[in-house]
Amino acid sequence: MAWNVPGGSGGDKDPWGQRRKPGQAPDLDQIVRNIQQRLSGLFGGRRGGGGGARGFGIGLILLVIVGVWLLSGIYIVQQGERGVVLRFGEKHRVTDAGLRWHFPYPIEWVEKVNVEKVSTIEIGYRSNPRTGGRSKVPKEALMLTEDENIIDVEFAVQYKIKDAGDFLFNVRDPEVTIAAATESAVRESVGKSTLDFALTEGREQLAQNARELLQQILDRYESGIDILAVETQRAQPPDEVKPAFDDAVKAREDEQRLKNEAEAYANDVIPRARGAAARLIQEAEGYKASVIARAEGDARRFTQIATEYVKAPAVTRERLYIETMEQVLSNSTKVFVDQKTGNLLYLPIDRLAPRGDGATAAMPTPPTSEADSGAAGRDAAAARGRADARRRGGG
Amino acid sequence: MTQTKLIAIGIVALLAIVTMLSAFYSVDEREKVIVVRFGQILRHDDMPGLHIKTPFIDDARYFDSRILTMDADPQPFLTREKKYVIVDSFVKWRVLDARQYYLTVGGQETEARRRLEQVVNSGLRDEFGKRDVQSVISTERGKIMQVLTEYADREARRFGIHVLDVRLQRVDLPDEVSQSVFQRMKAERSRIANELRAQGEEAAEKIRANAERQREVLLADAYRQAERIRGEGDGRATTVYAESFGRYPEFFAYYRSLNAYKESFKNKDDIMIVDPSSDFFKYMKKPAR
Repeated sequence: MAWNVPGGSGGDKDPWGQRRKPGQAPDLDQIVRNIQQRLSGLFGGRRGGGGGARGFGIGLILLVIVGVWLLSGIYIVQQGERGVVLRFGEKHRVTDAGLRWHFPYPIEWVEKVNVEKVSTIEIGYRSNPRTGGRSKVPKEALMLTEDENIIDVEFAVQYKIKDAGDFLFNVRDPEVTIAAATESAVRESVGKSTLDFALTEGREQLAQNARELLQQILDRYESGIDILAVETQRAQPPDEVKPAFDDAVKAREDEQRLKNEAEAYANDVIPRARGAAARLIQEAEGYKASVIARAEGDARRFTQIATEYVKAPAVTRERLYIETMEQVLSNSTKVFVDQKTGNLLYLPIDRLAPRGDGATAAMPTPPTSEADSGAAGRDAAAARGRADARRRGGG
Repeated sequence: MTQTKLIAIGIVALLAIVTMLSAFYSVDEREKVIVVRFGQILRHDDMPGLHIKTPFIDDARYFDSRILTMDADPQPFLTREKKYVIVDSFVKWRVLDARQYYLTVGGQETEARRRLEQVVNSGLRDEFGKRDVQSVISTERGKIMQVLTEYADREARRFGIHVLDVRLQRVDLPDEVSQSVFQRMKAERSRIANELRAQGEEAAEKIRANAERQREVLLADAYRQAERIRGEGDGRATTVYAESFGRYPEFFAYYRSLNAYKESFKNKDDIMIVDPSSDFFKYMKKPAR
């Protein structure tokens, strides 16, 4: 019969559970009763008949019975299994896979153990292989850390049987033993670490420690079990405090986000400032070039006129004056006021309303300290305007 | 051969078989056995295998020889600082001396478990009473188990039992204490969260301020440079003007003024109140002499 079916629902896998109650003799009574029945069938069923033929018949029946009994010793050990043969209850031999024979019961019997199968024990949760879902077992999962915090951990333990004999004969309820020992080992190793360590870089370390501890424990019991792996399925703060922990994680991200936003701001402001600075300098360069060029142009023009003027000063003066006045008067609105007769001066108000720059109501005599043509001052940039004002104020 | 003979033979054969079966007993790898005759223990500690006894009057009694588990229910224990912890422990034991075991606890597992439980409980009470919570959870855990194992083993020898291991399976805080632990953990986390956010704000503020400082410095530097450049331009222009105008200062004033008039009055919006007696209009009044 299949003996080793761990990881199940903890059903009755003990072959003794089917043949006898623990602590009682093997069920020889049953055998005896069987034999008694058979014999009474052989002998009691006879009434009269020929002696010799009957004797032969009885012999034949006995022979068949013995044959069947001998054949009942054939058994098959599957791949990955070991058959442990007990002779009168003593461990006699261990057989490998194949077709085998043992002396029939009650002389020998065999128990098979699968030594290849990897079984899993779950601590802190149970997964349901049929639905694929998993349910928590908080009682197992919640444990104390060294700094007296509570952590929520889930472990999976994978093991297989390394020694069929030890597994069969040394420990009762091996699965229960592994589960309890695992819990003990895991809690011991978690109890030796701080919460933060267990939640972060310590996960592997914890599982490793638990594995070593667990193997030691099971070896001490000579349980014949080999722990292949203890894996941390999950390590997290308990549900009650999870929001607070999540918030702390979020806070870390917020910190980063705030920094990044500030960096973004800086990355926006500084290049803009550099651009503005470059603009200022370029404008200044432009101003410098234009001012120099204008000066040179004006100077050249003046020099040309001046050299001609020297040749005929009076005429040139007169001409220039008249031309100028012509231009001025033709380009502006004029109001004639005869001073001898004008005792009351009427001027239409709307015509005299100020009209922006350059609107003047009399002959202007602007104080020009700088040799700047009038147009240049009007469409200059704000920065320049400031500069000019300062220069005017300072000069 | 009569029928009665046959029946007699049958009965005799049956008796022989039953007697033979009763003369043998086998011991499994998993069990220990004692042979009792009228309440007296004849033999014990037979090796596994087939053995012979006197039929009918000798009785073989079997005990499980495997490692067994005594899993105690979780129980509260007081630590040194008078705090309760809930301890769930289990004991791994096996029958060592079948004779002693039979005599003291009658070979009853339940009885043996009861005795073990008493022993382990008193041991736990002692060990936990000597230590504080932190050491029972963390540092002294292994020590406690070791001490308890040795102690329980010594005590259990009287019952022919060998205790291999006493293990603390779980050491937990009572529920109401767990709640306060959760509260503390929450408080700790929110402290950390606040700290992190504040640090973020701090860093962000520094970065912003730094950026603004850089902006101011950049602009001011640029202003300085720009003004210097403008000044250079103005300087050069002045030199140029001075050079050319300086040669004809008297004509320059005249010429420049005329230019200024032109520039100043070129808009239709400009209103000039003109006195006709000005020099310009002299020919309007009286034509050339």
